[in-house]
Amino acid sequence: MNAESSLATDVTSPRPMLDMSGIVKRFGANEVLRGVSLQVARGETVVVIGPSGSGKTTLLRCVNLLEDYQQGTVAVDGEPVGYVMDRGGQRQRMAEREIAAAREKIGIVFQSYNLFPHMTVLQNIVAAPIRVRGIPRPKAEQRARDLLAMVGLSEKADAYPARLSGGQQQRVAIARALAMDPKIMLFDEVTSALDPELVGEVLAAMQQLARDGMTMIVVTHEMSFARDVADRVVFMDGGVIVEQGAPEEMFASPRTDRVRQFLKRYNDRYRI
Amino acid sequence: MPIDVHFLARLFPALLEGAEVTVELAVLTMAICVVWGLVVALGQATRGPLGWAAGAYIQIVRNTPLLIQMYIVYFGLSLVGVPLSGFASGLLALCLQNGGYVAEIYRGGLQSVSARQYEAGRALGMRRWTLYRSVILPQVIARVIPPLANQGISITKDTSQVAAIAVMEIMKVAQVWVESSANTYDVFLAVGLIYLVLTSVISVGARVAERQLAFVS
Ligand SMILES: Nc1ncnc2c1ncn2[C@@H]1O[C@H](COP(=O)(O)OP(=O)(O)OP(=O)(O)O)[C@@H](O)[C@H]1O
Ligand SMILES: [Mg+2]
Repeated sequence: MNAESSLATDVTSPRPMLDMSGIVKRFGANEVLRGVSLQVARGETVVVIGPSGSGKTTLLRCVNLLEDYQQGTVAVDGEPVGYVMDRGGQRQRMAEREIAAAREKIGIVFQSYNLFPHMTVLQNIVAAPIRVRGIPRPKAEQRARDLLAMVGLSEKADAYPARLSGGQQQRVAIARALAMDPKIMLFDEVTSALDPELVGEVLAAMQQLARDGMTMIVVTHEMSFARDVADRVVFMDGGVIVEQGAPEEMFASPRTDRVRQFLKRYNDRYRI
Repeated sequence: MPIDVHFLARLFPALLEGAEVTVELAVLTMAICVVWGLVVALGQATRGPLGWAAGAYIQIVRNTPLLIQMYIVYFGLSLVGVPLSGFASGLLALCLQNGGYVAEIYRGGLQSVSARQYEAGRALGMRRWTLYRSVILPQVIARVIPPLANQGISITKDTSQVAAIAVMEIMKVAQVWVESSANTYDVFLAVGLIYLVLTSVISVGARVAERQLAFVS
């Protein structure tokens, strides 16, 4: 009876896929995140926008502990990442082994691709599945080829990264992250370093991923992507979330001056 | 000066015997230093006493003459009751000093791999050893082959210093022949040529290895 009712609660209010709570991050005396809390529901695509230096990159990097933070906790699908609260209410850092295991579930794609230059495209994708998850090579390679087909790069499996365009490298980076079967994908301005004509192919791959139900946080300056793909837009400034809401609402009638100014400056620059 | 063919016919077998010891010293030193240097470099990359000790080791062995290190090993160890043969002392001193140089080569190689490569690996759930083995070291090795080859050449030439503790490598053999004959010039010319052959082998080998390990970038 009890078990049944708690199950019922789970279904009506499923726990968020990502639960960040009260994240405070300082670089020395510079407080870059000032108590950020963000929940992302299963299958939701959240687009994060905000001026340069507002802490968007730092927030993503805190999710998988590429950046350590001074306060707050992160959980993915209910499992803590990085810190757990002990019985005395003190934050305790998890062991490196546990942190590494938690990172497997969090895919991240960087602005600078960061492919492994000494490995072919296929080797880049299968390296972690084989060496971290222990998946047999044939199975890992089959999955890698499926992912390459998904991002439209089947014929590049044996190429080295240096032989690919930026857009192609970035799609490989997406495939590499997906090969770990992550529960959530983080994208940090993944099209910012690309020539304009290559942006579309990467955004299309991400849009497809969102449509397939992946949980995603996307930091981007591509407002059209936010408008078309985001379930929710989060605006950050000065290390806090200033405003969030559905894209059509926020773009049409922002509630705060800061968002209004940001969007105005953006529209002036790009005339959209 | 006429070339004395009979003298050369007697000299060469002796020199080749010495060259064998030279090669043994050089090859053993290189093999040990390739591993030992990496251990020191990885140790130095850690925080705390291990990193500090590795750094101090490198400074000391690089900033004192090989000859002094060799005398300390050869005479010092026998003073404290652990006498080593000349060959073993020479090898130990060569490894001590060149381990420091090779560690510096690895350190340069490690630093040339961008922090983003470490992050990309960590973000995929790799732990330290997997990260180094599959992501970092392959890139480091491709980059350190040319400086390692240079070090190998320098090691080969440095083996001549073990003549000072009476090891019969090629230089010591040459000295003995010079003392017992008047053909100083012929002897040292022959020795120089043999060193040139040995170091050329290293150069060519390194070039082949470099080409094998090069990735497109
Ligand atoms: N490694 C670091 N050391 C010191 N300060 C840092 C570091 N990384 C970021 N910061 C500071 O943290 C603040 C937030 O940086 P962050 O990169 O998260 O901003 P952002 O919103 O991603 O900006 P952008 O849109 O330019 O990418 C900035 O003031 C930045 O100078
Ligand atoms: Mg950023």
